[in-house]
Amino acid sequence: MQKKWIAAGVAAVAIAAGAAWFSGAFKERASAAQAGNGEDTIALSEYPDRPYWGDTHLHTDNSVDAFGFGVRIGPEAALRFARGEKVTATMGMEAQLDRPLDFLVISDHSDALGATKRLMNAPSALVRDPTLKRWQAMLREGGRQSVIATGELIDAAATGNIPEALRDPERQEKATRDIWQEHLRIIDLFNEPGRFTAFAGFEWTLMPDGNNLHRVVMFRDGAPTIGDTLPFPGLDTDVTDLWDYLAAYEQGSGGQALAIPHNSNLSNGMMFEMTGPDGAPLTAEYAAKRARWEPVVEVTQIKGDSESHPFLSPNDEFAGYGIWGWELGNLPLTAKATPDMYGGSYVREALKRGLSLEQRLGVNPYRFGLIGSTDSHTSLATADEDNFFGKHTGNEPGPDRAMAGQNLGTREGRFGWHYLASGYAAAWARGNTRAEIFDAFKRREVYATTGSRMSVRIFGGPGFTEDSFGSDWVATGYREGVPMGGVLTDNGTAPAFMIEALKDPEGANLDRVQVVKGWVDANGNPQEKIFDAAWSERPMDGASDSPVPAVGNTVDEATASYTNTIGAAQLRTVWSDPEYREGQRAFYYVRVIEIPTPRWVLFDALRFGVELPDEVVKVVQERAYTSPIWLMPAAEET
Amino acid sequence: MTLTERARTILREPLVHFLLGGALIFAFFAWQGEEADPASRVIDVDEQVQAQIALTYERTMQRPPTDAELDALIDRWVREEVLYREALRLGLDAGDPVVRRRLAKKMDFLAASSAQATEPDEDELADWYRANAGRYAEDTRLSFDQVYFAEQPEAAAVLTQLRQGWQGVGDPASLPGSIEGRGLPAVAAQFGQDFANRLAGMEPSAAWEGPVRSGVGWHFVRLRAVEVGEVPPLDAVRQRVIEDWRLETSKTREEEAYRLLRDAYQVRIER
Repeated sequence: MQKKWIAAGVAAVAIAAGAAWFSGAFKERASAAQAGNGEDTIALSEYPDRPYWGDTHLHTDNSVDAFGFGVRIGPEAALRFARGEKVTATMGMEAQLDRPLDFLVISDHSDALGATKRLMNAPSALVRDPTLKRWQAMLREGGRQSVIATGELIDAAATGNIPEALRDPERQEKATRDIWQEHLRIIDLFNEPGRFTAFAGFEWTLMPDGNNLHRVVMFRDGAPTIGDTLPFPGLDTDVTDLWDYLAAYEQGSGGQALAIPHNSNLSNGMMFEMTGPDGAPLTAEYAAKRARWEPVVEVTQIKGDSESHPFLSPNDEFAGYGIWGWELGNLPLTAKATPDMYGGSYVREALKRGLSLEQRLGVNPYRFGLIGSTDSHTSLATADEDNFFGKHTGNEPGPDRAMAGQNLGTREGRFGWHYLASGYAAAWARGNTRAEIFDAFKRREVYATTGSRMSVRIFGGPGFTEDSFGSDWVATGYREGVPMGGVLTDNGTAPAFMIEALKDPEGANLDRVQVVKGWVDANGNPQEKIFDAAWSERPMDGASDSPVPAVGNTVDEATASYTNTIGAAQLRTVWSDPEYREGQRAFYYVRVIEIPTPRWVLFDALRFGVELPDEVVKVVQERAYTSPIWLMPAAEET
Repeated sequence: MTLTERARTILREPLVHFLLGGALIFAFFAWQGEEADPASRVIDVDEQVQAQIALTYERTMQRPPTDAELDALIDRWVREEVLYREALRLGLDAGDPVVRRRLAKKMDFLAASSAQATEPDEDELADWYRANAGRYAEDTRLSFDQVYFAEQPEAAAVLTQLRQGWQGVGDPASLPGSIEGRGLPAVAAQFGQDFANRLAGMEPSAAWEGPVRSGVGWHFVRLRAVEVGEVPPLDAVRQRVIEDWRLETSKTREEEAYRLLRDAYQVRIER
């Protein structure tokens, strides 16, 4: 009898063990079209005729911190979720996007790729380093212990105390190579030209003293072109090394890649410095490289919004969105932020600095477009208020997450409600392929939203009038002007902009469209001003149109709902700069403000029946930021 | 290190988890058939156990163990087995959340593994494919012209205008006037789901219809063609279907196996 059990038991063990490798044994391969850059695969429209929506900043269980925070679903689930399928989140909840995304960049940290997953599963006898041994035990303990271990790991990375075993790229290389090759295979399988674009990418995680200088790298190509190129480590490297890596990739493979600076609000002023990385004056060579490799930046994401800060923009009534908690300091809060740092941490100021530097160096290092993305560490790319899965697995939906401390370790200052259900990247492209969307990023014909899918289109040109703005205005815009991200040359007349915003077809109405102008004045000082350019109908205060009064608020906090009884579905205008001065260097970008809507905390309060304290921000006006259009003095045409 | 701490450390080892899983499977089959002997103090290190030990070593070290190494490994295995059995006797597996979770996972895995390790037979796969064909269908594609109004217009007046030509009618917007063979999800992305559904239900015609409400305003629409998304033959998507089948079937089997066990329990939750 006993023999029979053993036979049955052994058979079952064999089946169980066999199943683990079985799924890998018959590996599906992507077609040539899927594995390529998408050129010549689908019919393209004549010019970009719709924005494509995506997330360029998503972590899965291959990220050292995401795994430590508890995520147990990987790239495949991430891709299924992004293209609209239902998946099960790590904590067991079903997750599905209301509307699929058009593209996705999975950007797992290149440093110690897959390391926590490997550390947890490694036989502990082979783990010799005492710190790693302790972390392994904590990871295996799971839950809170795992989160604490990961917090320590991030602290260690921030302070340069990472154990040698995780630090040494050569020791990591084999592990990285295996994970990366498998990752590229999956990415290509999910890449369907015309339907869903899956980009290869990674996050380069430079973090001197905890100041966040991360970059997301995004490839235009699939596995066959990327070949043996491995993700580039951030620790112990410098941003110019990253640019050299990108240049080497392009030369060696014939492919293309770019880097996207991480939301800059946690950099303690270092993301957009006036000096080079070594503290010396910024050189023209550095500026040219930066402009070449970093055509767009991430301006909004779950860890706050980096458009501007009230300290920098005291006259901007809409500044201060999503800065709660985040303005206090750098990523692990090892160093507090002081106001003198804000200039290098916020994007509008960086655009202004770019103009000054351009005046001095002849090159603008900060001529970048704007996108939003999530930076979610749950494998779930969602920036929807009513479908927010949190920053990491530790704050997937639950009754306590809004008020829970979120400080990565033991320090104070940040709470769950500070997280934003933000943002998305919109790309004006001629079709949904790697080449088309990547190229839109390169020419900066992209914009950021804080999670709404409103459509925003601008064209700048010297002679646009109401007459240009007829039914054929998009064709006219491309023919006679430049779209967002473009550069105009000063011809002695005020630049004019054709601007249109359409509401999110499933979302809230629009409050107003604003033009944000930055320039360098005659004394060489950077300036900014915000113009209300178009707004929905409302009772006006008096003779002057400015300031435009608030649109009102229809949000019912008890039911987390709003109505589109205020605001407008479409706002459009031709706007010409009333303060134009010939020869002045300037940029113009458009900010579109939605009517007030409920934040994710209200949906949580409703779902879990919890009360939120007064200090929690419960209602916001979602917004879009377009890439700027620059105005260059004629003599400097580039 | 106290005995409890030592036992905890041991219980966190993947090998221990593996062994616990094996024991569980053993127990499962025993529970199905005959009574096991929990008091057994005989440890059989048969050829299969030895092969398993050697294989585990080879996977880690990329080479088979030498005879001396194998002897040492067997000694260690026996040591673990003794401690493991004694730990069970002391009831150390009870009340440990890691062990509890691990064993529950193993049960799920056991139920799912039959689905994961088998190829579906042809009829089963074909049936499943038919039932889930919608997932593999190409998008339904629409070709249409549209004229946009920000506010709801007077239908009769607009239709009269449209009969004389449609260029220049309506309010300008950055929406394309003519759309060629665009998939339903893409139409929904730009105009909203209700609008896409409405068009998908219309008959193609040379006449204008409207106004049709969208997520961004009002439209008059001339629906030129609807190409219903084809369901590709099974062979064209076979690998994807097999993977999806496997995923779903293993989930269903997990759930079925759980239900079977769950039904035998009475659960009382104190309120």
